[in-house]
Amino acid sequence: RAAMEASELWVGFVGAGRMAGGLVRGLLQAGKVPASNILASAPSDKNLDAWRELGCRTTHCNLEVVHRSTLVFLATKPHILPGVLEEIRPAVGPHHIVVSLVAGVTIQTLQRLLPPWTKVLRIMPNLPCVVQAGAMVFSRGSNAGDEEAALLKSLLSSCGLCEEVPESYIDIHTGLSGSGVAYVYLFAEALAEGAVKMGMPGALASRIAAQTLLGAAKMLLETGEHPAKLRGDVCTPGGTTIYALHQLEKGALRATVMDAVEAATNRACDMAKD
Amino acid sequence: MSVGVIGAGQLAFALARGFTAAGVLAAHKITASSPDTDLPTVSGLRKMGVNFTVSNKDTVKSSDVLFLAVKPPIIPFILEEVGPDIEARHIVVSCAAGVTISSIEKKLSTFCPTPKVIRCMTNTPVIVREGATVYATGTHADVEDGKLLEQLMASVGFCTEVEEDLIDAVTGLSGSGPAYAFTALDALADGGVKMGLPRRLAVRLGAQALLGAAKMLLESEQHPGQLKDNVCSPGGATIHALHFLESGGFRSLLINAVEASCIRTRELQHLADQEEISPAAIKKTLLDKVKLESPSLSVASASKVSLFTNKSKKN
Repeated sequence: RAAMEASELWVGFVGAGRMAGGLVRGLLQAGKVPASNILASAPSDKNLDAWRELGCRTTHCNLEVVHRSTLVFLATKPHILPGVLEEIRPAVGPHHIVVSLVAGVTIQTLQRLLPPWTKVLRIMPNLPCVVQAGAMVFSRGSNAGDEEAALLKSLLSSCGLCEEVPESYIDIHTGLSGSGVAYVYLFAEALAEGAVKMGMPGALASRIAAQTLLGAAKMLLETGEHPAKLRGDVCTPGGTTIYALHQLEKGALRATVMDAVEAATNRACDMAKD
Repeated sequence: MSVGVIGAGQLAFALARGFTAAGVLAAHKITASSPDTDLPTVSGLRKMGVNFTVSNKDTVKSSDVLFLAVKPPIIPFILEEVGPDIEARHIVVSCAAGVTISSIEKKLSTFCPTPKVIRCMTNTPVIVREGATVYATGTHADVEDGKLLEQLMASVGFCTEVEEDLIDAVTGLSGSGPAYAFTALDALADGGVKMGLPRRLAVRLGAQALLGAAKMLLESEQHPGQLKDNVCSPGGATIHALHFLESGGFRSLLINAVEASCIRTRELQHLADQEEISPAAIKKTLLDKVKLESPSLSVASASKVSLFTNKSKKN
């Protein structure tokens, strides 16, 4: 169908904040959808300037986005969404594909607030989508089929990893990767601090810390080896690495990280219930 | 080939049991000695058909391969005692933690110009032929001598040659290792009992679980981390349990244990090299018996100031 051809696709964003901005940059980077086919709405011009600079069209009217798009991304804050859905509901038709980025709002809720035959999908991205190194998971609602899932995946793979999952994994993804990005920042900061303590200037230490994380992650992704094996490969007998790792184990780092993922996941579940 | 064992304690018993079960040595080809006939293992050795004697010198005379299976502080006294009886044909295999080849060669060289010395670190599961043994050959031990020992020890488990400077680490890992495993097994059984299992069944299942896991690891190309992952279904029982282990610093405790054992071994070696051994470290009766056999030992050397603390003397 014509609408499935990405170049013919009209894409809309209701809400134009950071997350939406990350996704649209990825879309444009991939060259799949021309900027002129993208329309974003937001209450103020604050965010919209950046979109116009990319060549996208902008508006203050949510209904206009729905009228003029086939693929509609919902990217508002959670407490705003119900009001927005009520507003756009009359304009939503069977040809629309509605993809919600809104944290904590379940497919069940979305389907309840939209017409019953609406094709709904829910996606949880993470911050590095803005630099096309994101991790995203999405789930389908009752009326979304293989075509819609394939379209979403093909459009968003340019932003990073994009996988379909059962909806129950979405909160876990929040704990692992949504919030997980912050754990990495914390770790990077601590690494750099250690280096500063040992005498390295802070700015250099920070850049090296970041590069170390990037490089290690790249090796993990590209070699497909188990992290325990890669860790072992770095540890020469009696060498510096194993001494350091012993310190990390003494501090029960692993358990603490598991605690963090668990806490964030549980919080995501709790918030979704509100 | 005849094998002699100086010492008739846990290790002597384990070696004798292992060798005879493996069929590499008939019991009557093994001689074990100790001045202390009260050791519980002595009757076990006798029952096995091993020749038991109170004379270390007799053991040396009747053996080709001579295992020194006494506690490290006793080694210098033993070497003084049997040194005169060591001939060129003997292969002296010291199993004592922390005792270096050079210290043994130095002691024996006053009696024999080119003593064949091999240093070995094994462990008690040789008794069930699942031992873990490493060895390093001394200055005058040939390749064939090492191979002979390797054949003997391979019949009771895994055996490989290593550089001598790794032996203390081996002590920390597989020498002491069975004790870590027994502790873990005891605790696992407690867990089973807490959750309702009868003790015997809990012990049996815990032991089988560790045995099976170890076997899987030895037969697999995979990293233990991968094997662990294979057991952990998402959100399942095992991953919940592992989280507890991690919270308790399980991994670091094990690393600490291996490190502590290795460091203590080096400490013992250092003390032994200085020959600062207190009579308190050696049972008085035992020392007297040893001294009776070797008049060259002076009372003065046996009563040097102790550098040992009150920590356990077991290696």
